[in-house]
Amino acid sequence: MSFAEFMVNYGGIFFAGLGAALAVILSGFGSAKGVGLVGEAAAGLMIEEPEKFGKSLVLQLLPGTQGLYGFVIGLLVLGKLDVNMSLANGMYIFASCLPVGFVGWISAIAQGRTAAAGINLLAKNEEQSTKGIIYAVMVETYALLSFVISLILVNAVTF
Amino acid sequence: MAIVKMSKFNLFAFNSDRENLLHELQKFKYVHFINLNKNDSLKEIGLKNVEVPESIVALDEEISKVKYGIEILSHFYEKESGLGAMKKGLETLNFDELEERDSKIDYINLYNQLKDLNDKKEMLIQDVTKLGSSIEELSPWVKLNSPIKELNKFESSEALLGTIPKKLKQKLETELLDTNYTYFEILSEDKDNIYVLAITSNSEAETLNEILRNNSFSSVKLSAEEEPSTEISKLQEEIQIKENEIKDFENKIRQFSGALPDLEVEYEYLMNKKLRLMASENFVATDNVNVIQGYIPAEMEDEFVQAVKLALKDNYYIEIKEAERDNPEVPILLKNSKFVQSFESLTGMYALPRYNEIDPTPFLAPFYLAFFGMMIADIGYGILMLIGTLVALKYFNLTDSMKSFMRFFHYLSYSAIFWGAIYGSFFGGIIPLPALINPSEQYNELLIISIAFGAVHLFFGLGLKAYLSIREGNIKDAIYDVGFWYMALIGGILFLISMVMGISSIAKNIGLVVMIIGMVGIILTGGRDSKSIGGKAAGGLYSLYGISSYVGDFVSYSRLMALGLSGGFIASAINMMVDMLFAKGILGILGGIAVFFIGQLFNVFLSILSAYVHTIRLTYVEFFGKFYEGGGKGFNIFRNKTKYINLK
Repeated sequence: MSFAEFMVNYGGIFFAGLGAALAVILSGFGSAKGVGLVGEAAAGLMIEEPEKFGKSLVLQLLPGTQGLYGFVIGLLVLGKLDVNMSLANGMYIFASCLPVGFVGWISAIAQGRTAAAGINLLAKNEEQSTKGIIYAVMVETYALLSFVISLILVNAVTF
Repeated sequence: MAIVKMSKFNLFAFNSDRENLLHELQKFKYVHFINLNKNDSLKEIGLKNVEVPESIVALDEEISKVKYGIEILSHFYEKESGLGAMKKGLETLNFDELEERDSKIDYINLYNQLKDLNDKKEMLIQDVTKLGSSIEELSPWVKLNSPIKELNKFESSEALLGTIPKKLKQKLETELLDTNYTYFEILSEDKDNIYVLAITSNSEAETLNEILRNNSFSSVKLSAEEEPSTEISKLQEEIQIKENEIKDFENKIRQFSGALPDLEVEYEYLMNKKLRLMASENFVATDNVNVIQGYIPAEMEDEFVQAVKLALKDNYYIEIKEAERDNPEVPILLKNSKFVQSFESLTGMYALPRYNEIDPTPFLAPFYLAFFGMMIADIGYGILMLIGTLVALKYFNLTDSMKSFMRFFHYLSYSAIFWGAIYGSFFGGIIPLPALINPSEQYNELLIISIAFGAVHLFFGLGLKAYLSIREGNIKDAIYDVGFWYMALIGGILFLISMVMGISSIAKNIGLVVMIIGMVGIILTGGRDSKSIGGKAAGGLYSLYGISSYVGDFVSYSRLMALGLSGGFIASAINMMVDMLFAKGILGILGGIAVFFIGQLFNVFLSILSAYVHTIRLTYVEFFGKFYEGGGKGFNIFRNKTKYINLK
């Protein structure tokens, strides 16, 4: 089987699978990095003030949502996979996965940085720590938008 | 409703009555003092600052003693944990009860006993540390099986103990091969050094010293006398004895731990006393008379005067007048119905209103309620919230702020259930329910609904801005800044809808005309504050450019749909995994149940957190941005913020 033959026969499922993988991989990358970033900052805080654990956990959780968005898209694509998919359909699914993958990746890291700064706020002025959460959520907006677009794109078609 | 009306008072009272007065006012609670210290016009006519009484130093000392006691005892006090503690909550006292409790507590005596016990305990701990380091010093020499004091008693030979860097070990050993009357033994090694014993005859001592010196030998003098192993076991016994003593002291301290609640009450009492003493910093005075200014809620005027009369008999002069409406110094106290009051924390987090603004809480509350529910949109999650908050409100003794926070989520849970019913979602669809809107298919409709809600929210905000302008008597501002925007936006929306849907050309044309009138109006009036014609034109165009930010605002409301969808999809993804596990037999079913509970609980928490903050964002950025400034100062009640009790 030549490469061209492979592409024609199995290119569809290959690209659709690749899309699902990328949605999960990229957004997971970003979330892991973001959550890790906040965790590092928060661990330092626990030395002196372990009672702030709960609030720091909320901040740490925020960059974790992108990974979940990617995961949901991955699962949805899973439901559409079919060995006999045409190459065009596979490419379409692949493209649908890109928004949540890329935006999820970068935005989770950016959100992680903001949330880590929020940890600083929590350390110095606990009463204002909700504002740190709000700042971090501002970043989330874009991950959410990309998730919605990926979702609509994946859901809009039945093959 | 809304912002509490304030009255400003001017009070003249004698120096000698000050303490009595402050005491009575603290009982009264709702007094906000103005700091006259920086008021230059009063200074110019010869009024001086009131010095904070010297007793504050003694008071600070008392506070630190009580704190010390609390710190020591809190290690030993067995608090109820978990549910029991929440059920019990903090003790509630009123001010008179607090003072009565104080008079019964002999904390000085308690402090002295505690201090004595704890100091002794600390000494013992230090001793133990010292003994421990002695053991550490001796432990490399355990192999030496002769008493240390004997080493110095040789007549014709010399014994040396010391360390040598490990890397020189081999070199030393080869060099020592040349000696004849020297005994050399490595007693132990650690990471860097070897510990050596060397015995040599006096005749060869110098040679040996030379060799050792060349190998960075550093001599060790042990202070102990017996064999190291005997010494060590002696030390260990000593440590054991001391540790038992420490335990004894701890038990003695533990016997006092029942007094911790008393100390905590005492702490609150003293902190309030300190606040009372510090309050005189705000006053100015002549030689005998204090001048006191402050604010009180207008509706409490009579009670306030009574409190003053009670403290000062007839020896005072007071003036009370309505607070100036536009003075930014007037402190803000919000008063709302029970429902709206639970949303006040949101307003407070952004900024309290100024005295001449309106309290936005009643207006944000219904929208917050609707939007929050739409973002959760699951009957099961709503019921969980409902049960959780009901249990907390009914069975737990919560502080006032916690109570209103719980009530906040209690109200929100109804909205979550309502939207869950519309979406037909119960824990992400474990029970199939009829849906009014099926989010996974009708997301286009949902998107339109979300943006329509956004339009209502934004237009309502603009409407409030118009209302504020009209209230100030600036009807023109209301027309220019709100009316034209209404025309431009509504006309634009009408135009776009009829163009896309292709309904009727009449509606399309009406929309277009209205939009253009509005836009022209904005260009003509947007820059009216500028002096020059050029400035006016540029300002007008810039104002119209603001329409782009409206596009952003509308898009922002798509999160109403997005969060509902993402929560729902994550829930159904969890259910999907559970289904896969259930197909795998008994173990799979058990695993599936665990995945279901952990996953759904995690998703509930995540959904509530996201809905909470994203609705806040819509409120602060999109809604408040249209009409609300804020920046008022909070009303400081004349009480210290309590830590250990609820003070009524």
